[in-house]
Amino acid sequence: MPTQSENRWTSLLMGLVAFVSLSLFLIPAFIIRPFRHQSETALDLTFAVKRVAPALTLLALACVLALAWRLWRGASRILRTGIVTAVALSVTSAVMVRQNYFEWMFRPIAAAGFASPNDSHLGDKEMVMAVQIGREARAYPIVQMAYHHILNDTVAEEPIAVTY
Amino acid sequence: MWKRTARGRELHFYLAGINNQNFLMRDRETGSWWQQITGRAIAGELAGSTLELMPSDELTFALWKSESPQGHSLVLSPVGGHEKDYDNKWEEEVAKYPVPLTFPGQGLKDRDVILGVRMGGQARAFPLAKVRGQTPVEDRVAGVPLVIVTGPDGESVRIFRSQWNGLDIEIYREASNGEQNQDWRLLDSQANTWNFAGCATSGPATGQCLQKINFVKDYWFDWKNYNPGTTVYSH
Repeated sequence: MPTQSENRWTSLLMGLVAFVSLSLFLIPAFIIRPFRHQSETALDLTFAVKRVAPALTLLALACVLALAWRLWRGASRILRTGIVTAVALSVTSAVMVRQNYFEWMFRPIAAAGFASPNDSHLGDKEMVMAVQIGREARAYPIVQMAYHHILNDTVAEEPIAVTY
Repeated sequence: MWKRTARGRELHFYLAGINNQNFLMRDRETGSWWQQITGRAIAGELAGSTLELMPSDELTFALWKSESPQGHSLVLSPVGGHEKDYDNKWEEEVAKYPVPLTFPGQGLKDRDVILGVRMGGQARAFPLAKVRGQTPVEDRVAGVPLVIVTGPDGESVRIFRSQWNGLDIEIYREASNGEQNQDWRLLDSQANTWNFAGCATSGPATGQCLQKINFVKDYWFDWKNYNPGTTVYSH
């Protein structure tokens, strides 16, 4: 039977691990939020955190679950609320670091469709990004690219990235 | 627009973040991080690689149609379900956003749209408002004579090397012509006429084309951020 002081340390450790796990998601999310300035150092930190976050959040979740298992029996109602919160936060982090929420805002083009100029409903005054490789010409309406931002295309066997 | 190959590998990019209002993309093959405006990998396995620029244009649809080879031209269709996301007012919306960086002192406002030219280690920004005002604009970057031309639609812009047959040529708009595509042409000091594609339609250069110069259309603050040594066209 663990003593009360052991329990205190165990719950503290569990809280700390859950906090670190949440930071692995929140630090990069905070740094690269839109409309703000990103310094080079902050950006490097983002890349470093994002590299280790998928593995570390899983490890953190395993730790939190193991500690929760130890603590649950004999825990007070308040401590149980804390345990559930720690587990929920760790699960959230492990899920969120695997999500690309930039693609929730700007959905990628899964399968690009094309039309001949005469079949297109695009207005004559609409701006397009245009490329010609050999005899193959492509137009990418800017109003569409300003939303999707990226299209991986292949024109005359040349793989190109249309970005806007 | 970029060729999506680096170190001999074909890459597939996706949107992955934002850096000072220019987006970051990653490639599915290595997970490296790339800056959209520079085409440069800034983190990950391919860090230090730069994508090769794919020469491209920004044109009105009408002008593009009139220039493109018949039967070999395709236009990207709207992606189903996203019609409401295509915002015709996006430029005005973006103009209201705060800027993450500011570079006063060279006479431009942070969100002024510029055409950026990089040649021979030099960078120069041509304010779009100025280029539109006095077409064609002639200038020299790193010793290379350039002409910046606004097309018959009054929107599309191209930059050419104003040299033909190894000689510098002076290019100007024919004074009397209208805004109609078929009448629109440029003249030069060698008795040639040129169309907006930069190809000679009459004169000794008939059938030949001027060299097209790549440029990026960008906000001043973004261009200056990646080209700290840039000068600004100010004639």
